[in-house]
Amino acid sequence: MVKHIKIEALRMLRNKRYAVFVVAFPLGFYLLYSNLWGDQVDETTGVKASVILMVSMGAYGALASSIMSTAVPWAQERESGWLRQLQITPLPSWSFIVTKLIVSMLLTLPALLLVGLAAVLTQGVSLPPGEWAGLVVAMWLGVIPFAALGLTIGSLTRPDTAQPLAMIGMFGLALLGGLWIPLDIMPETMRTIAKVLPSNDYATIGWRIVAGEAPPASAVLGILGWGVALVAFAIFAFRRATVRA
Amino acid sequence: MNAISFSQVTRAYGDVLAVDGLDLDIPAGRTVALLGPNGAGKSTSINMLLGLLRPTSGQIRIFGETPERAIARGDVGAMLQEGTLIPELTVAETVGFVRSLYPDPLPLDEILRMADLTDLAGRRAGRLSGGQTQRVRFALAIAGAPRLLILDEPTAAMDVESRRAFWDNIRAYAAQGRTVLFATHYLEEADENSDRVVVIARGRIVADGTAAEIKSGVGGQAVSFTMGTQSVAGLDTLPGVIGVEITSGRAVLRTSDPDATVDALYRKTTLDVRGLEIAGADLEDAFLALTQES
Ligand SMILES: Nc1ncnc2c1ncn2[C@@H]1O[C@H](COP(=O)(O)OP(=O)(O)O)[C@@H](O)[C@H]1O
Ligand SMILES: [Mg+2]
Repeated sequence: MVKHIKIEALRMLRNKRYAVFVVAFPLGFYLLYSNLWGDQVDETTGVKASVILMVSMGAYGALASSIMSTAVPWAQERESGWLRQLQITPLPSWSFIVTKLIVSMLLTLPALLLVGLAAVLTQGVSLPPGEWAGLVVAMWLGVIPFAALGLTIGSLTRPDTAQPLAMIGMFGLALLGGLWIPLDIMPETMRTIAKVLPSNDYATIGWRIVAGEAPPASAVLGILGWGVALVAFAIFAFRRATVRA
Repeated sequence: MNAISFSQVTRAYGDVLAVDGLDLDIPAGRTVALLGPNGAGKSTSINMLLGLLRPTSGQIRIFGETPERAIARGDVGAMLQEGTLIPELTVAETVGFVRSLYPDPLPLDEILRMADLTDLAGRRAGRLSGGQTQRVRFALAIAGAPRLLILDEPTAAMDVESRRAFWDNIRAYAAQGRTVLFATHYLEEADENSDRVVVIARGRIVADGTAAEIKSGVGGQAVSFTMGTQSVAGLDTLPGVIGVEITSGRAVLRTSDPDATVDALYRKTTLDVRGLEIAGADLEDAFLALTQES
């Protein structure tokens, strides 16, 4: 399994599309936005925009990564025959989906860590060690629902459908979840939608941590609920996709 | 012990019976060709053997075990008819990964050497030609040193030269006491590379033996003559006839008894028979006769 994780991670890191959407995008936008508005201060919490943006862009990068590294590659493997190639080896099929999930989570780390590093180096962001640790762990575990969503898409659709679905899922969740534009300036209906999306729960947990507060129970329960539901759905879809006909 | 055993195996896709009551035992250590035209049911049989497809009825065993158990034990390696590699990974990475899945694999260097891939070890799979990709897929099939090697039309994407080199590699692998089953629709390929040919058509076995036995056993002769526009009705009921083929105005009758066929042709039909020829069948003729019979 270690070897499987290694080659799966390697192939994604060598994929240009992945590098652009998942690493260059969040990093580039973080640098741009924080240079424009980084010094503004949120009135209610007193947190600087450079810190909030770090969470938003880190969250976007991690979310995008977890969907990008699952949906399309997995749909392609099914279609191209690579799945069958592995099904005729001793590799058990549960190991296959567990590996995909682990790899997807590992691959969120470059985006999270690079955005964090850029925040520290260019904006002089500093947080107490406890907040850093809490933030990284929360942002890292919080991608599970998105990775499960990506795997579900990959199990149920062909690559040419998985591609647009993954894009819609990735940008839709990021935009409607308030990662690109603050919720406060969104219309009322959009705000209502945002409240039920896991992407908003995900970012909210991060924003509260950097404000020195405990994450709200509603967000934690929200993401847990989505996580359980989407993981269950991903397992169901995966079994359907790998069962012999 | 039998390496492979199919008993009364049937597979339907909706109304289509792709495999129809297949009974086949292959003793360990043999190299067997599964020969048949496109659509004969070769891939369906192989995919059932590999546990990728479920038989509609019947039972399949590999070294006495279910296909799933044999595969989990690492007894089986296969090259499916279709399949691509992960384009971002190199040949050595891909082969190294697959060999690590088996309990007792061959050394990486040896696999690469046996598949003529040593010089391509560092190349990414996305930059390989069709023939090179096939060699990597062969390397994946032998990586785990399986006792049973299964190949579904393995040389389809290759030119004549690479085909020859490829078969040399397969023979070298088989020579170590292993069992090989390969599907093909090329006669020479079956003839040259196997010690037993199982001919399959419309999901059934129509002949089973050495290439020589198949040549002599079926459609020994061909009687042909110019037909023009005359009706073909009744030709297939003439004595000895086992197959009728009309190509560009010429009728070719496969027959087990050319004397009786020719005799009846002149005496029992009103056909105007011109340009009569009688020829011994080669394996190609035997194959056509077998697979076109109903
Ligand atoms: N997935 C499928 N759905 C429906 N029919 C199929 C499917 N796969 C194969 N068949 C049919 O089953 C028959 C045998 O096909 P196959 O086993 O692929 O033959 P071969 O490998 O000898 O060319 C053919 O008539 C083919 O059209
Ligand atoms: Mg086939």
